[in-house]
Amino acid sequence: MHRSVRAASLVALLAWAVAVFAADQVRKDYHFKVHHRASVSIFNQYGPISVRPGSGDQVVVTAILHSDKAEIDTRQSGNRVAVVSHLLGGADADSGRVDYDVLVPANANVTLHSTTGPLRVEKMRGDVILEGNTANVDVRDVSSGHVHVKTLNGPVTLTNVSEGHVEITSVNGDVSLKSVSGPLVHVNSTSGKILYDGDFGDGGEYSLMTHTGDIDATAPAYASIDVVASSERGKVENDFPLQPAHSSFVSRAGSAFAGTMGKAASSVKLLSFSGKIHLKKR
Amino acid sequence: MTCEEFQRVLPELEGGHNFEQEQHLKTCSRCSELISDLSAISQQARLIGATTEEPSPRVWNSIEITLRQEGLIHEPSPVAGRARVTSWRLSWLVPALAALLVVFGVVLHRPGKQPSRSAMSSPPVVKAVEEPGPELATLADEEQLLGMVAARAPALRADYESDLRAVDEYIRDAERSARSNPNDELAQQYLMNAYEQRAMVYEMAMDRTLP
Repeated sequence: MHRSVRAASLVALLAWAVAVFAADQVRKDYHFKVHHRASVSIFNQYGPISVRPGSGDQVVVTAILHSDKAEIDTRQSGNRVAVVSHLLGGADADSGRVDYDVLVPANANVTLHSTTGPLRVEKMRGDVILEGNTANVDVRDVSSGHVHVKTLNGPVTLTNVSEGHVEITSVNGDVSLKSVSGPLVHVNSTSGKILYDGDFGDGGEYSLMTHTGDIDATAPAYASIDVVASSERGKVENDFPLQPAHSSFVSRAGSAFAGTMGKAASSVKLLSFSGKIHLKKR
Repeated sequence: MTCEEFQRVLPELEGGHNFEQEQHLKTCSRCSELISDLSAISQQARLIGATTEEPSPRVWNSIEITLRQEGLIHEPSPVAGRARVTSWRLSWLVPALAALLVVFGVVLHRPGKQPSRSAMSSPPVVKAVEEPGPELATLADEEQLLGMVAARAPALRADYESDLRAVDEYIRDAERSARSNPNDELAQQYLMNAYEQRAMVYEMAMDRTLP
C-alpha cells in the first residue's frame, strides 16, 4: 500500500517536473519548397541539429526553443535555404539552446554550424559540411556526396560513407572512421586519435595525419594498398606482410615502414609526429 | 587685424576670441561666416556620431589592422616632452575624425561580409622552409584573436588558447622537419596540415555566427 502510494507520488512529481521544464519551450515549424540539389544551411550556436532525408521537394524544419532568449531567422533565396538561431541579450548555453530536426531532399547539400552540437546527418546523397567547436559530429550512410568536417575539440564519427571526398580537420577531437571509403579520405588532427576500420577501397588517396595523436588502422587481409607509415617519436607497428616498393621513403624498424599489398590500388599514408601507429589486419 | 592674420590663428583659438579677434569678426562678414560654417560642421558631426549605431568591435579591429598595414599607426614611442595640443584643436578634430571613422566603418561593415583574414592567415610553406617563422607577430595576432573570442564568449577563451598552443607546437615541429628535409614531400605535407589547423582555428574564432 505504502509502496504504491510512493510510486504514484513519484510519477506525479515527474510529470509535474516535465510540465514545468517544458512550459518555457516553444516549438516552431517551417516549410520551404525547393528543387533538385537545394542548399540548406543551419547556424545554431547552442543545441543539436539533426538532418535526414524527407519526402518530396521540400525542407521541413522543426525547432524547439528552450526560452525566449533565442529567435529563429529564416531566409529562402531560390533553391537556397538558411536558418539562423538568433540569440538575444542575456542568452547562454541553456537559455539560448535550440533543438533542430530537419528533413531535406536526399540530394540536398547541407551545411551545419554549431558550437555545442551535437550534429547528426544520415542517409544523404548531397554534400555535407559540418562545423563545430565542441560539437559531437556523427555522419552515417552518406554516399556520392563530399563530407567536410571541422571541429576544435568535438569528436567526429563517420560510418558507412562512400563515393565522395572526405575531409576532416580537428584540433583535439578523436576521429573515428568505420566503413569509410572514397577517392579521397583526408584526416588532419593535432592531438586527437584517429581510428580507421575499413578496406581502404575505391582506389583512393587515404591520408591520416596527426601531430601527437595515435593512429589505429584496421583493414582486411585482401586490402589493396600502397602504404607509408611513419612516426618521428612514436612506435609504429604493422600486421601485414608488405612487398617493398621502389620509392625514396626510408623504412626505420619500429618507427617507419612502407610497402604494398595486393595490386596497391589505394594510397595510404599514416603519419604522426609523436603518436603510435598500428596497421592491423582484421 | 586682417583676414589672413585671423585665419592663421584660427586653429589655435580656444573657443574664445580676444578683443582684436572679436572686432575683426564684427566687421568682416567673410570670417564670421567661416566661423559659423565650422561650428555647423562640428555640430553635424556630433549628431552623426550620436545617432549612428556603434559598429561592432570587429569593425574597429579591421580598421586598426588596415591602418597598421598602411603604416598609418604605430606603437606609441616614449617622448621627452608632451606636445601641447590645445583643447580647441581637439574639439574640431574629435568630431571630424569620429565622422570619418563612422563612415569608414559603415562602408566596411556590410551584412554577410566576413572580415579580411589576410592579417591572420598562415604564412606560405616556402617561407617557413627558408627561415624561422615570425613568432612575435604570430603571438600578437593570437592575443588579438583571443581577445575577440573573450569579448564574445569568455567561457571559450581557455579552449581556444589551449588549441592555439597545441597547433603552434605542431607548426614548430613541422617547420623544423621541413627545414631539415627540404625535399621531403611528407615533411611539406605535415607543414601544410599544421598551417591548415591554425587557419581553421582562426576561421572558427572569427566566424560571426559563432563564438
